[in-house]
Amino acid sequence: MATITLEKVRKVYPNGFEAVHGIDLDVGDGEFMVLVGPSGCGKTTVLRMVAGLEDISDGILKIGDKIVNDLGPKERDIAMVFQNYALYPHMTVGENIGFALKLRKMPKDQIKAKVSEAAHILGLTEWIDRKPGQLSGGQRQRVAMGRAIVREPSVFLMDEPLSNLDAKLRVQMRAEVSRIQRRLDVATLYVTHDQVEAMTMGDRVAVMRSGEIQQVDTPQSLYDRPNNLFVAAFIGSPAMNLYEATLSEGAKVLHLGSQNVELPPSVQASHPKLTSFANQQIVVGLRPEHLPAANGTGGATIEGDVDLVEALGSELLVHFSIDARKVTAEGVEEEEEQLASGGAGVARIDPRASVRPGQRSRFEVDVDRMQFFDPSSGLAIWD
Amino acid sequence: MAVTSAPPPATSGLPPGVSGRPLVGRHDVFRRQLARLGWGFSAPALIFIALVTVFPIVYSVIISFRHVLLYSTGFHMSGFTLNNYAKIIHYGPWRYAVAFTVGYTVVTVLVELVLGMGIALVLERLSRGRGIMMALLLLPWSLITVISARLWQYLYDPSVGAASKLVQLFGAHNPVILGHNASAIIALMVADIWKTTPFVAIILLAGLVMLPQDVYEAAEVDGASEWATFFRITLPMLAPTIGLAILFRVLQAFGLFDLPNVLTGGGPGHATTSLAILGYQAMFEFNQAWGPGAAIATSTALLVVLGCLCFYRVFKAQAAREVG
Amino acid sequence: MMRNRRRTGVRRYLNVMNVAVFLTVLFVLVPLYFMVVSSFKNPNTIGQSLQLWPAQWTVKNYTYVWTASHFGRNILNSLIVSVCSTILVLALGSMAGYALGRLPMRGKLPILMTLLMISVFPVIGVIAPLYVVLRTIGWLNSYQALILPYTAFNLPFAIWILRNYFLGIPREMEETGRIDGASPMRTLVQIIMPQAAPGLFTAAVFCFTACWTEYLMALSFDSNTNMHTIPVAIGSALSTIYTVPYGPYFAASCMAAVPIGILVLVFRKSVVSGLTSGAVKG
Repeated sequence: MATITLEKVRKVYPNGFEAVHGIDLDVGDGEFMVLVGPSGCGKTTVLRMVAGLEDISDGILKIGDKIVNDLGPKERDIAMVFQNYALYPHMTVGENIGFALKLRKMPKDQIKAKVSEAAHILGLTEWIDRKPGQLSGGQRQRVAMGRAIVREPSVFLMDEPLSNLDAKLRVQMRAEVSRIQRRLDVATLYVTHDQVEAMTMGDRVAVMRSGEIQQVDTPQSLYDRPNNLFVAAFIGSPAMNLYEATLSEGAKVLHLGSQNVELPPSVQASHPKLTSFANQQIVVGLRPEHLPAANGTGGATIEGDVDLVEALGSELLVHFSIDARKVTAEGVEEEEEQLASGGAGVARIDPRASVRPGQRSRFEVDVDRMQFFDPSSGLAIWD
Repeated sequence: MAVTSAPPPATSGLPPGVSGRPLVGRHDVFRRQLARLGWGFSAPALIFIALVTVFPIVYSVIISFRHVLLYSTGFHMSGFTLNNYAKIIHYGPWRYAVAFTVGYTVVTVLVELVLGMGIALVLERLSRGRGIMMALLLLPWSLITVISARLWQYLYDPSVGAASKLVQLFGAHNPVILGHNASAIIALMVADIWKTTPFVAIILLAGLVMLPQDVYEAAEVDGASEWATFFRITLPMLAPTIGLAILFRVLQAFGLFDLPNVLTGGGPGHATTSLAILGYQAMFEFNQAWGPGAAIATSTALLVVLGCLCFYRVFKAQAAREVG
Repeated sequence: MMRNRRRTGVRRYLNVMNVAVFLTVLFVLVPLYFMVVSSFKNPNTIGQSLQLWPAQWTVKNYTYVWTASHFGRNILNSLIVSVCSTILVLALGSMAGYALGRLPMRGKLPILMTLLMISVFPVIGVIAPLYVVLRTIGWLNSYQALILPYTAFNLPFAIWILRNYFLGIPREMEETGRIDGASPMRTLVQIIMPQAAPGLFTAAVFCFTACWTEYLMALSFDSNTNMHTIPVAIGSALSTIYTVPYGPYFAASCMAAVPIGILVLVFRKSVVSGLTSGAVKG
C-alpha cells in the first residue's frame, strides 16, 4: 500500500512543447483521486508519467517513499486500466487477467485462484474462457479492471476507462469502479474529462487546465468554493451562469445589467474582500440550481425573457436572457453548449411552475450562494 | 379482393398481403436483376478461367491414367492404366524429387521466416527511412527469377565468382560449388532465400504495423521483458499473417523450377531435380514420356492441394479458437 | 514499439538497428551490384577472374545483346504478352470482382474458394494438356499461347484484390448512382471504377510483374527463338560452365530488370497493400 507524490513535475516534449508545468499533487493511501480537465490539458500525460510510460522532464515522483523517476513500469508496482482496454486479443479472459502473474512466475494453481477471485468480484466468471473479441464493451472494460486488480499493486492508474461505454452503462460502472476501489483500498489516480464522473467518484478532485492544476479539493468544496472562473464554470452541470456586473459603494448592491440585486450583510461577511471591489467591474456566478422560480416570498429576484424550456421530468431547465453580458471561461464551454445557450442563462426550477418561451419570468436569487470573481485574474473573491 | 388491371409482378413465394397483391416489392425485383447482372459480369472471367485452367487440370488427370503414345503428328491415348503411377513410384529420381522438394520447402521457408521476421522487426522500429527500406526490399522480389539464377550462377562460378572466392577463404581449394550434391543444394537454397526473404519480410512488416499498439503498453505495465513481449504477444497476434506468408511460400516452393533449371539443370545428376523439373524433363526431354510426365504433374498437384487442405483445416481451427 | 523512455536503452538499440539495417542493405545490394557492374565488363575477360570493378568499361555486351542476339525482339515479345494479359485481366477481373463483391449472387463463397484454390495450383500440372491443346490448334509459338494462360492464371488473384477494393467503397455510391438514374454498368464504369483506381493499379502491377517474369510456360509453349520472352532468352541457353556468356546475360538482365524495378519502386505502396490485402481477407 502506498501513496503517490508529485513534486514540481514537468513534461517538456522534444519539440519544445511544455505539456505539464511543474505540478504538485498528493494521493493518500487508499484515496481515490480524480484528475479532471478538458481535452489537451495534460491529465493523461501526468498519468502516463506516473505509470512510467512517459519520461519525466523535471521534478520528483514518489510512490510511497521511493523516488521512482527512473524506474520502469514494472518496478513501480503499478497497475493501469487503459482507455481502450488494451486487452490481449489472442488470450482468453482468464489468460488476460493472469498474464502479469504468469510473467512473475507465480505457481499455476495460485494464478488460477487469484484469477477466479478477480473474475468473481467483477462478475466475469462465466466468460473466463472467452476471447475479448466475443465480449461486449462493458465486459471488456471489466476484464481490463480485472487485469489491474489481480496484481494487488501499490497504485491504481485509470485512463478514462468509462469513456467508451454508452451512457447507461457508464452510470452503472461508475458505481462498480468506486465499490471495487473501496474494497481494495489502494491509492488510485483516475483521469477523466467528465466532471460528473469526477464529482461522483473522487474522494478528492484535481482540476487541470493547460498543464496546470487549478484546484485540488473534495467535490463539495470544488462546488461550493471554486478558486477561479475556470473551476467554477467547469464543475457543475448545467454550467454556472457567469455575468459581468458592477458593485455599488460598500458592495451593498450588485448591478446586473439593468437590474439590481441587494446583497445582505451575510454576503459581505463571507466575502470580506468584496468591498475592495466597490464601483468596479466584477464577474458574478450563479448556479442554475440557485435560481428557483420566484414565489413572492421576498428576497432578491431577477427577471429574464424565457427563450427555451426543457422539461426533464424532475425539473424544468429554463433558458433565459437578461441584458447583462455573459462571461465564458475559455476552454470550458464545449462548442455545442455555446451554440445552444447562445449567451442565455440557465435556471433549474420546479417542474410544476408554469413558464413558457416568450414570457418574462422571475427567478429568486440565492445570494448566499453567489460566487464573485476578479475579472482580470479570474480568481474568486473571498478574503 | 381488388382486381388489379396490371399483370401481377413475379411472386416472392410469400402469401398475399392485406391488399391481395403478392408481397414482393420493386426492390426484390431489382435484386434479382442485379443477381443476373452479377452472373453476367463474372461469367466471362469465370469461363475463361475454367477453360484454361480447370479443363486442362482435369485433362491432365485423365492423361495420367491412360496409355499415351506420341507420334510426330499427334498423340494417341488409350485405355485405363495405373502404369504411369507405378512407373514413377518405382523411379528413384521421383522418390528423390518428392523428398527433395519437401525438404527444400521446409528448410527455405523456415529460414526465410526467421530472417524475414528479424528484418521486419528492425524495420518496424524505423520511423524514417522505412519507405526507402521497403522499396529496397522489393527489388529482389521484382527481379525475374532466371535473372537472379544467372546472377548466382556467376557468383558461384568456380573461377570468377565472388561466392567461390569467399568459400576459398575458408580453406576449400578450387571449389566447384555447383558440382557437388550437398553444396549445390545449399547454393540453390541460398539463391532462393536471397530472392524471397524480402518478400516474406514485407508481408510480416505489413502485419506488424497493423498490430494494435496500446497492447504493448499494457504489456509493459504488466512487466513483460522484450523477449516475453515478442513470444507471448507479438508472435501470437501475428499468427494469421505468418500463416499467410507460409502458405504463399510453400505453394511457391512446390513449383520450384526456374532456379534449378538455370542454375544447375537439375544436377549434379539428380541432386537438385525438384518435382516440377522432373515433370518437365519427363514431358519434353526423356523421349517425351507423357504418361509418367502427367502422373508426376498430377501427383505434385495432388500434394499441393492436400497440403492446402491440411493447412486450411489447421488454420480454420486456429481461427475458430481465436474468435470463438 | 518504440517508446520515448529509457534513453540510454534507446541509444543502445540504435546501434543494433543501424548494424542490422546496414547488413540487410548490403545483403540485398551486393548481388545486384555485381549484376549491374558486370554488364559493363569486357565479355572476353569476364570469365577469367573476379573483378569487383570492370577492368575496362565497355558497352559491348549491350550492343551484342541488342544486335546479334536480337534481344529487342525478346523485349517486344515480353511487352506484348504482358500488356495484353494485363489489360484482359483488368477488364475481366474488375467486372468479376465487382460482381463477387457487390452484386447479390448466390454461390459467391464457393466461387471465391475455388478461385483461391486455382490460384495456388502448380503450373506444372497444366503444362501437358495445354501443350497438347495448343499443338492441336496450331497455336504453339504464338502470342496467344501465352496471353491466354497468363490471363487465366492471374485472374483469380486480381479478382481477389479488386474485390477487396470494391468492398471498401461505400454502398452509398451505387445508391446515388441509382437515384440519379444510371444503369448498373454505367455505375460501375463511371462511378465505382475511378474510386477503385488504386486497386486497379495494384492488380496491374502484380499481373504485369507475373507475366514479365514467367518462365515455365514461356519455355514450353514458345520455344522458337524469335518468340522467346525475356526470361526464356536469358535462361534458356544452358551452356556449360566454361562458356557461359555472362556479359551479355547481365546486359540483358539489366535491360529487363530496370523497367520492372522502377515500376515496383514507384508503385511500392500499391504492391505492399496488394500483398497484405491477402492477409486481411485470408
